[in-house]
Amino acid sequence: MNARHIGLVAKKELFGLSSEKTIVFAILLQVFIAMFSSFLMVGLTAMYDPEAIEGYSTVAYGVGYAGAESPLIDEFEKRDDLILHRMDLGQALRALRERQVAAAVYVPDTPPDAEEPVTITLYLIQNDLQSSVINVKIKEVLQGYERELREVRADRMTSFPVGLNFPKSRGGENFFEFVYGLLIPLLVLLPAIVSAALIIDLITEEYQRQTLETLMSTPVTFAEMVWGKIAACEVLVPVQAGVWLLLLGVNGIAVDNAAAILLHASAGGLFLILLGALVALHYRERTSAQFIFSTALVVVFLFVMAVPYNPLNLMVRLAVDTAGPVHWLILALVAGATALLGWTVTVYARRVGEDTPGAR
Amino acid sequence: MSLASSIRTIAVWEMNRSMTTMGRHVLPLAAGLLVLLVLVTAFAAQSGVHMQDGMYRIGIDDPNVALVVAPDNRFTTYLDDSTALWENRLAYDIVILRGEVYAADTDKGRAALKALERDYEGYVSHVATREPDLFAAYPLWIDLQYVKSEIDFLATQSGQQVGAPADARVPPVPSGPVEAVTVPPSAMSVSEDDLREHLAETGGGHPLDRYTGIISGDPAMDRFRTPSELSPPLPFDALVLVFVFIFPLYFTSQFFMMSVMNERVGRAGEALLSTPVRPAAIIIGKALPYFTIMLLVAAAITLFAGAPLTILLPLIPVILFFLANALIIGMASRSFKELSFVSIFFSTLATSYLFFPTVFANTHVISIISPLTLVVLEIQGDGFTAMEYVYSTALFFATSIILFYVGTVNFREERLFSEKPLASRLADFVSGGIGRDHPHLSLFLLSAFTIPFVFMVQMLTLVLFFNIPMPLSLVLLTVSAAFIEEFAKSIGIYAVARERPGFLTVRNLLIGAVAIGLGFLAGEKLLLFATLAQITESIFGSVLFLSLQVLWMPLLLHIAGVLITGGFLLLWGRRAYGPGLVVASVVHSLYNLHFLMGALL
Repeated sequence: MNARHIGLVAKKELFGLSSEKTIVFAILLQVFIAMFSSFLMVGLTAMYDPEAIEGYSTVAYGVGYAGAESPLIDEFEKRDDLILHRMDLGQALRALRERQVAAAVYVPDTPPDAEEPVTITLYLIQNDLQSSVINVKIKEVLQGYERELREVRADRMTSFPVGLNFPKSRGGENFFEFVYGLLIPLLVLLPAIVSAALIIDLITEEYQRQTLETLMSTPVTFAEMVWGKIAACEVLVPVQAGVWLLLLGVNGIAVDNAAAILLHASAGGLFLILLGALVALHYRERTSAQFIFSTALVVVFLFVMAVPYNPLNLMVRLAVDTAGPVHWLILALVAGATALLGWTVTVYARRVGEDTPGAR
Repeated sequence: MSLASSIRTIAVWEMNRSMTTMGRHVLPLAAGLLVLLVLVTAFAAQSGVHMQDGMYRIGIDDPNVALVVAPDNRFTTYLDDSTALWENRLAYDIVILRGEVYAADTDKGRAALKALERDYEGYVSHVATREPDLFAAYPLWIDLQYVKSEIDFLATQSGQQVGAPADARVPPVPSGPVEAVTVPPSAMSVSEDDLREHLAETGGGHPLDRYTGIISGDPAMDRFRTPSELSPPLPFDALVLVFVFIFPLYFTSQFFMMSVMNERVGRAGEALLSTPVRPAAIIIGKALPYFTIMLLVAAAITLFAGAPLTILLPLIPVILFFLANALIIGMASRSFKELSFVSIFFSTLATSYLFFPTVFANTHVISIISPLTLVVLEIQGDGFTAMEYVYSTALFFATSIILFYVGTVNFREERLFSEKPLASRLADFVSGGIGRDHPHLSLFLLSAFTIPFVFMVQMLTLVLFFNIPMPLSLVLLTVSAAFIEEFAKSIGIYAVARERPGFLTVRNLLIGAVAIGLGFLAGEKLLLFATLAQITESIFGSVLFLSLQVLWMPLLLHIAGVLITGGFLLLWGRRAYGPGLVVASVVHSLYNLHFLMGALL
């Protein structure tokens, strides 16, 4: 194989990408997603950890209280963001419907030390963002009441958990786990998947448009052509992933060990690209190849996620700097598997090239 | 051959062809992959997800305390004696010494602390579940009830803040009639054993767990919870619906896109075009099998999820919309990679259009612009009215029909097999719709037909700008709405000027501008009165659909806009199209802002 030939094919493919302006769509897409970023940040974080949205609210909410007197009233009074209004249940529910209060509670007259549990009915507005905020705030109040009731009934308990004293929570929203534990590995993975889909398009197109013959009349061999395309797709992986990491950095999210993360992304990306190339060489037709590849992708992804110390997990560990040197070992393993797959692709491509010089 | 029989012939042929090519080579491997998938899923269920393993370092001096974090893979635990831990405390995110928790004062430390607090809650619950006296360990149970309430969309107009009440300190006085309510019983209606079982099932709780159980659901027992089990109900759960319904549908539409593309590759469709079958029959015949498959897929998912079959009704326009777009993308792309990128781009746009409004399901009328909202409502058991169905699906039906029409008109040799870039092919498609004999009538119809697309894009901007603070969002909306309208009006003139430069004279431009302005206004009126009356009532609606109040003013505005863009084209040629568009948009925005200020002040 001739490295210059591979370089030529890669250059041709990259040039084709930019002249077709398809890459413009990819950029548009990134801009479009970035436009949603405020929504994405709040929305996705909330999806990941609903309790985080409490930090967004600075307003005091009214809560309708109906039923018997109870120590719960004192718990409510400890907070300045929840204001209790005593009213009867019908009125409270009406006010809730009209959004004059944000929630309503009904407390029965069960004594604190009774045999049976205290069953409080909590009324919230369905499927509403505000209800989610209120839910978190009231949860804290109710947990306080639960602790109090547990103390009253402590003599009926037999075993006790280890006690832990937590420092007072400094509160506020916290994106950390969502950003580093989910967003970063997924954003870095995305370019690898796009590139793998791209290699299928590039290879099947030569077959379906019957342009192979022209290509084969040049001194470039079939295997060199395949590797040129693979190289073009592979180059895009670290570039795009690097842009994501840069964008995150601009947004104030510092990522440790960016170089090592990009290495992992490149190795994993190459593995997926080679898998795509193999499927494309086998089917030589886009519909079937893309179908099989996307199914295979789901299988590979599920499997990788279920293995401890998988590359995605290593990216997380690297991003928060808890990886340790073990990640080099995994990188070597992934690189080894990729090399094996690369060898398979080369052998297969050579055989295909010898069997059918030119078109199908 | 009659239309019906030729459609049937094409449909059968399409089925046979795709089934045989797919069948012989793909099915064995697909079956193998499916078996692998089942095996891997079983393995993943056993092993768990190892994405966030070892994110935090925790140092503990007591093996008993270490049991608290043992089930949580996010923590790497280091057991050591107190003095050593305290000396190296900077190497850990959290250190626990004699029951005191110390967390690093960083984002990471705080995140670790939060994770630890939740693990501790889970641990305490776990210990309490084994208590012989359950109601000593869990003395407090919450019966969660949901009340329905829709925000009045006009509330924003009167300056009221949506969501939080104006002043929570003032005791509320409900204005509506107060209904009699039965007071909830104080006794627990569920047996102690059931509660114990329920507690055992829901121990611990990783943030991602809540999404795994949404479809299967856990009905009766979910009513009573302990305080720590209270988890905020989020409208974002609708995202799961997007994955469950929209992705399989989109995936299937890809096969149709490829089938259209394959006709063009290597002029394979030439034989088909030379038969006496009409293009309409070819397109409908080719689309029919995929439409049926998508409907069956949706029905299968519905039955599997145990949802009512009526949710298929709002999904039909979505299916049509996907197919129509697949047709146009398949007809317009030059190469496979262009096909991939354009379809990924389109799917992102379509998914956000479908998904983001459902976030506001039950809270905002705006949510009804997405058919998925109807699906959410139906699954909740609220149902939807015929009127709501028309509101949310009219745009989808209209755009799909127009796109299919455009596809049919352009399903000809010289369009299908040309190798021009994407933008000029699309311009070709538009000029394909402009007849040589009645160019002005065509321009009138064309601009009327763009209305559904204009509305869709404007709706998307509405959703986009929804969470930006009020004055800024209004300005952005005004400007973008003006630009979108000017762009839509100009495409007809641009396409004509491109294909027949001689056509663009002063006289023709004047007549054309009037035709386009009239067509735009007529289309706007028709669609608006038919469907979107509800949304136009809101302040956001009045920005988008400002021009409805008086008739002759907007007509003049529309005509002036086309004249500006057309004038630029006439004077300085096609390169002036961009600047002309900008000038027209500025004029349009100024007009809108002027009226808006008048309306607001």
